[in-house]
Amino acid sequence: MSEKELAIIRDIPNNDWFVSGHGACPGCGMTIAVKNIMRIIGNNSTVYVPASCLIVVSAVYPTSSFRTPLFFTAFENTGAVTTGIKAAYRRLGKDATVVGIAGDGGTFDIGLQALSGAAERGEDVLYVCVDNEAYMNTGIQRSGSTPFGAWTTTTPVGKKTKGKRQMKKDMMDLVIGHNVEYAATLSIAHYNDFVKKVDKAKRKSGFRFLHVLTPCVPGWKTESAKTVEIAKLAVETGMWTLFEYEDGEARATYRPKQLLPVTDYLQLQGRFRHMPSEDIKVLQRWVCNKYYWHFGHEAEQPACAMFKGEPEMHFDGDPLHGV
Amino acid sequence: MFEVRFHGRGGQGAVMAAQTFAEAAVLEGHHAQAFPYFGAERRGAPVRAFARVDDKRITIKSQIYEPDMLVIMDESLLDIDPVADGLKPTGSVVMNTTKAPQDVDIGVAVRCATVDAIPIALETIKAPIVNTAILGAVAKICDLVTIESIKTSINDRFGEKLGEQAARMNSLAAEMAYARTVVGICKGERTIVRPKVWLPTWKELPQGTALGEDTLSGVTVGPGGSLGNYTGTWRTITPKYDQEKCVRCLRCWFCCPEGCIKRLEDDHVKWDYRYCKGCGICANICPADAIHMVKGAMEP
Amino acid sequence: MMKVLSADHAVAWGVRLAKAEVIPAFPITPQTLIIELLSEFIFDGDMDAEFIPADSEHSAMSIAVGASAGGVRTFTATSSQGLALMHEMLYASPQNRLPVVMANVNRSLGAAAGIWLEHNDSMAARDSGWMQCYVEDNQEALDMTLQAYKVAEDPRVMMPLMICLDGFVLSHTVDGVDVPEQAKVDDFLPRFRPLYSLDPADPKVINPIVPPDYAMEMRYQLDRIMESSRQAIKEVDSAFAKRFGRGYGGLFEAYRMDDAEYALLSLGTATSTARAAVDELREEGKRAGLIKLRFMRPFPHDELLAACKDLKALGVFDRSLSFNRYGPVFTEVRNSLHELSLPITDHVGGLGGRDLTLGHMREIFANIERSAKGEKVRTCSWYGLRGEQE
Repeated sequence: MSEKELAIIRDIPNNDWFVSGHGACPGCGMTIAVKNIMRIIGNNSTVYVPASCLIVVSAVYPTSSFRTPLFFTAFENTGAVTTGIKAAYRRLGKDATVVGIAGDGGTFDIGLQALSGAAERGEDVLYVCVDNEAYMNTGIQRSGSTPFGAWTTTTPVGKKTKGKRQMKKDMMDLVIGHNVEYAATLSIAHYNDFVKKVDKAKRKSGFRFLHVLTPCVPGWKTESAKTVEIAKLAVETGMWTLFEYEDGEARATYRPKQLLPVTDYLQLQGRFRHMPSEDIKVLQRWVCNKYYWHFGHEAEQPACAMFKGEPEMHFDGDPLHGV
Repeated sequence: MFEVRFHGRGGQGAVMAAQTFAEAAVLEGHHAQAFPYFGAERRGAPVRAFARVDDKRITIKSQIYEPDMLVIMDESLLDIDPVADGLKPTGSVVMNTTKAPQDVDIGVAVRCATVDAIPIALETIKAPIVNTAILGAVAKICDLVTIESIKTSINDRFGEKLGEQAARMNSLAAEMAYARTVVGICKGERTIVRPKVWLPTWKELPQGTALGEDTLSGVTVGPGGSLGNYTGTWRTITPKYDQEKCVRCLRCWFCCPEGCIKRLEDDHVKWDYRYCKGCGICANICPADAIHMVKGAMEP
Repeated sequence: MMKVLSADHAVAWGVRLAKAEVIPAFPITPQTLIIELLSEFIFDGDMDAEFIPADSEHSAMSIAVGASAGGVRTFTATSSQGLALMHEMLYASPQNRLPVVMANVNRSLGAAAGIWLEHNDSMAARDSGWMQCYVEDNQEALDMTLQAYKVAEDPRVMMPLMICLDGFVLSHTVDGVDVPEQAKVDDFLPRFRPLYSLDPADPKVINPIVPPDYAMEMRYQLDRIMESSRQAIKEVDSAFAKRFGRGYGGLFEAYRMDDAEYALLSLGTATSTARAAVDELREEGKRAGLIKLRFMRPFPHDELLAACKDLKALGVFDRSLSFNRYGPVFTEVRNSLHELSLPITDHVGGLGGRDLTLGHMREIFANIERSAKGEKVRTCSWYGLRGEQE
């Protein structure tokens, strides 16, 4: 392990362990995250990938895009298989980082139980959730991570009902509830924050959880060139909050000075194009509430831009505001 | 039995084209089937779809290896995929291209219908998706369907999925393409290049499911083996780098989904175009205006 | 050293002596005694291994598969609904050649729910690619656990093995068991050497998505391996007999079969009751015999054919059903023996924990004897059922 802590892009080792030639769509946000996480984690590691876009684009017999050991078995067991690999390594005296990289479906929904088991046992593994907010591998079906209002093939824009009617599950909150060693959200557009958190996760032992928002060109109906731009807007509008949980405390790592209206984020994505203004209002209110729920106990708060005509929402001093 | 193989790239709607063609054939009183190649490749990657037409019920459920007709939705596929493999010498080809039939070379000299479908698609459906326009050209060269049945089928299939307006525009695209299609004979000079394959017998295959880094029958396998897959062939636009303007922030190196932007000793960067899919993220996020996307797959 | 142990505890002793290193498990009756005792061994420091309390059987098998791919000897145990829950993960180890060993304590599965003995849990898993062995008594439960690792980790095999033992009738019944010395076991069972493993020093991709270009060759390989595992099973049993003085016949045991005219093929604890019936019949001067089927997978097609060629009739005992007529063991046996012209009949009993008595066993033999004499007998008869069979 390198001695120097990594803080900026330039610090990232110039070695690729997730290499070119993978079959991901042009502009894939997930591969940006995976490539850089692997650069920082390095090759003294072993990767488990459950059923997901990642396994399909990176490992079709007889090749793999991972230059590290890679294993796959099923969809719902990332927490469990990584537990087993790490246990074997402990027995054999191998000091390698065992990384599980699962999608939002494999984390929020079908994989939640195995994740909870591993987190509760305090397994010494690094769990990465690459979150593109739907089951993209099977062709864009809604997951527990899909945001309110979004179109997916199982939340179509119908005559009666338009888009998903439920809010995105707060995965970080569930993970933190297990009293884990480290948990952090990442954005592929906030480079230095990304680098620091992955490096920190690598250095710690115990259960570590990294949650990356990874825009998906076909699933979000966006332009391939705008993947990183959209990831940035997710943070600036509060749709994605950057924070970390360490030593029993959550801390914001980046706070926009002023949250942009959520429409700035929605308008670049075809999956939200149909949303009526009353739905946008609902989503905007959720964003503001979530923001205060995540950061309510901290002193400085950005005002949250509400939908046009609504008064702005400010932190009211109650740490459980909006819950 | 008349067999058709559609060649496109993921996201171009080759499967929809095959299904629409089959429906048109059914409207003409034939029996027909259409099906995709059941693979997992993503948008931009070469994909295939198939259709069969006959006068009686079709019971064959296998893929098509010796087609009577090829429908090539993207001319650049000819350089990266053995598109004309197995095409019958008596067969025909329909291609989206700016060229005239006699200037097209698919590797087999056959009856050829060409149409420049991109401008038609842009004019009608406002997107460079040619799967309906190309069906107009199909109607021109294939006796099994008429432009009327193609239009009805488009209205049915697209109307149901995308609404009336979209159906009308797609139908118009087919009609315009039908009018502009030129029929002739293409060239058969190109050597059809087949990719290297490693197809071991069960005894030769390593036990279990594991592979280490290796080269077997000229194919790179195991960890890192995807480097043998040159995804740069998917590219239709190409980043051009102006080193003078580069501020060496390395954001493009960080943000490239392919890992094809290589970081040099001095933190300038260099593209490995063999893998660049032309997504355009690097140009979009460059704070110094040092990267621009240029049309085409050519390396600048 | 003689100890009085339940079969569950005998398995736990086997696992301890085999020095399994990673033991993930989830509790379910009647398996729980196994993992309780293993936890005690580990928490007392008598066994150097990791017990991982999994969140479900699905996770237990996932952890076992991960640990096996990581290169260590693993063990888990389950029953019934637990086996069904981990069904998906059963398929992860055979094709990946990961020799996980598991004990399944047979218990009825599904609605008409109970905790009692039936074989419909493990029989549903017989096409998963696992080797599957059924044991008869507590000593065999321990001995087979040791043999299981030796067979599964044989370089020619490298496949997972499921030891099936009858719930309660065996799992919770105590009996005298000879627990072998550790040194003798160490000598018999060397350190686990995987075919390959996940290792950052020698990176491999294990089990990527396998497209149609390769999947068939892999399936054929696996079929050949399962076929050739028969040889390893026989050799291991002989080697075990030589070392420990107890042999079990390998794939099956032929009991009083030398001059038998008719016989029953059974598995699990039903065999013990059948032995008593055969002994009685022999005393009565009848030429009855018994085949104790030990392995459902690999199935001893050729060996069974040779053993049955001189019989006039064969009956098959089934403790589960492949609904709308026959039990799974019968289907397998009749398939193997299709070249022979003898009448083969199915005998179903002991479902859902219904007690299977010596009386039932005598009835079964009486029916087989009738079929041997050329009398017409039902192809499938139930024993202990209230009301006439249709």
